[in-house]
Amino acid sequence: MDWDRLDMNPKVIAAVKKANIKSIKEILNLSGPDLQRLTKLSSMDVQYLLKTVSGTLRKSSALTALQLYQDKDPFTSYHQRLSLGCPVLDSLLRGGLPLEGITEVAGESSAGKTQISLQLCLSVQYPYEYGGLDSGAVYVCTEDVFPNKRLKQLTEQQQKLRVDVSLDVIQKIKFGNRIFIEHAADIDTFQECITKRIPLMLSRGMVRLIIIDSIAALFRCEFGAKDSVMKAKYLQTFGAKLHSLSSRFKTPIVCVNQVTDMVDEKEVAQNNFRVPDKRISPALGITWSNQLLMRLMASRTPHQEHSSSATSQHSGRVLRTLGVVFAPHLPQSFCYYTVNLEGVRGMR
Amino acid sequence: ISKQAITHNIGHPSWHSSLYVKDVLPCFSFSEIGISKEEALEALQVVRRECPGEAARPPGESESLRKYTALELLKQEQAQGFIITFCSALDDILGGGIQLTKVTEICGAPGVGKTQLCMQLAVDVQIPECFGGLAGEAVFIDTEGSFMVDRVVDIATVCVQHCQLIAETHQEEDHQKALETFSLENILSHIYYFRCHDYVELLAQVYLLPDFLLEHSKVRLVIIDGIAFPFRHDFEDFSLRTRLLNGLAQQLISIANERQLNSMFFPCPSGESWGHAATIRLILHWDNKQSRLATLYKSPSQRESTVPYHITSHGFRDIQPPSPSPTLVEAEANPRKRPRVEGEEELKN
Repeated sequence: MDWDRLDMNPKVIAAVKKANIKSIKEILNLSGPDLQRLTKLSSMDVQYLLKTVSGTLRKSSALTALQLYQDKDPFTSYHQRLSLGCPVLDSLLRGGLPLEGITEVAGESSAGKTQISLQLCLSVQYPYEYGGLDSGAVYVCTEDVFPNKRLKQLTEQQQKLRVDVSLDVIQKIKFGNRIFIEHAADIDTFQECITKRIPLMLSRGMVRLIIIDSIAALFRCEFGAKDSVMKAKYLQTFGAKLHSLSSRFKTPIVCVNQVTDMVDEKEVAQNNFRVPDKRISPALGITWSNQLLMRLMASRTPHQEHSSSATSQHSGRVLRTLGVVFAPHLPQSFCYYTVNLEGVRGMR
Repeated sequence: ISKQAITHNIGHPSWHSSLYVKDVLPCFSFSEIGISKEEALEALQVVRRECPGEAARPPGESESLRKYTALELLKQEQAQGFIITFCSALDDILGGGIQLTKVTEICGAPGVGKTQLCMQLAVDVQIPECFGGLAGEAVFIDTEGSFMVDRVVDIATVCVQHCQLIAETHQEEDHQKALETFSLENILSHIYYFRCHDYVELLAQVYLLPDFLLEHSKVRLVIIDGIAFPFRHDFEDFSLRTRLLNGLAQQLISIANERQLNSMFFPCPSGESWGHAATIRLILHWDNKQSRLATLYKSPSQRESTVPYHITSHGFRDIQPPSPSPTLVEAEANPRKRPRVEGEEELKN
């Protein structure tokens, strides 16, 4: 930190230099009396110093909620959402995913989590007026191989899914060229990926969506029960890193997560001979939950869709639900959806 | 002993004003300054005599040194009023609502409604005085990026409608007049929003807060959502974290006291040291994942108790009492869904 650049009393600047203080962070990490001792300044001068460096750090003045509300710039606007590519699902989420924050899609295997993620990779590439962000996506695979074939299928069927978009707009988008696939099977590779490669792509404007499928797989094999402190530490570091990327580049982050069965011991004891109600909870516990902006839960129902047309060959698709578990701006609610050839569609 | 003599004795050129001597002298050990205890006492007495009355001191600082009787404090506290939560059961256990001049801590698992309560309060603090509100403004410091304007718009719209409803039934002149300025746009423009991305930014923001509050004297509520979040990672040194958090808490308490406003923050109940920092601690939690409960865990004046609450599309609310005669079909279809009646919540005046 070049202290001379600050608009501050020269006496104070000299004292800070003499105390060998290097950064604003260092100043703010010290308590008032400690600063007084180190710089040999009076308490008034120390207060002045603290206020000046704080002011330098926080250049932007307050925004009122009204200014946020009326912001029309699509890059910064709080209204801007990333569409899921289906009006029904979008209305469940009040327009789509917020640009800042981590969204979790949790669910059992084959609940449709990956299908939703793939569809997001495509919808992010549409122009702003169609709910996209006019940019690409990075897809981090931590366990399975990336479902290339399915992506190709979805790309080919886009015009069937997106009837709201004119054909030549769809044809202009090179969907396959803007999805970047990263494989990260262990924690170190993953760390490297989110601290080096992804920030680079973001700063070049190549992508504005990060999908991690899945976060729990990273922790499944390497950590035993006794390593839980270490695991929590990693989760917090990753969460913080993803958060800062998301807010710096206004880029939504989607994390796919598995669920674990919760067995209530009391319940089991009471109903020895009955299967207890099945209850599930997302993996990774509260340390991870604390990092999230919102949590969605995908699940399969035992029912099948009743197709109105008897001739339809696709009748009998499994009905699934997508629910909001928590989000600061949404009520707990859910809607049914099906996975079709052309993609994921919600049902009213 | 004269002022000059002190200055001379201490040998420090910046000790020029009596004000300064009075403020600072007690903080130093006598040996450090080089005068005896008796001399120091005398110096203080001289200085106090020289500037009698509170006029010589900057406003705000006067509060800390003046003596109050318990009765005066009680009267002051009663006159300060509360920020209602729109959940009357919660207001009751809090003794009327969120207290001014106190630091309230709200804890709970993700998704239980902490941010909802924050946004509700940022709107409620602005309710005009004739409707029983404080006609204040709010500062919202967001460390998690969870402030959603859309949601504030929902809550504010319902709050305005609610006041309009009261005005229609009571037909009082001051109600009509207050409603002219109590609009959605007005409410939004009186919520000052700061986004802090890490703990250094948060510390800096809190250092700047006193000046901001001087410029915006109507602010009655400072919200930090959440305080623990930026401190959760990047800390190899836990003693530093504890010290910074404690320092932050001290600053918030003094801001709350001096400026006659409320500050609140929302950590998770992880660090025990936080138990001492806040005057009031409220814990929000789930009851079997179905209903939400608020427990007043720590309060100097109210007893510990638990009440249910509900988050509706309108905001933070009471659990609606079951309607007197639910039709059988409805009850069977969804036992948990209860009919909601528009505007049935009463504002407490």
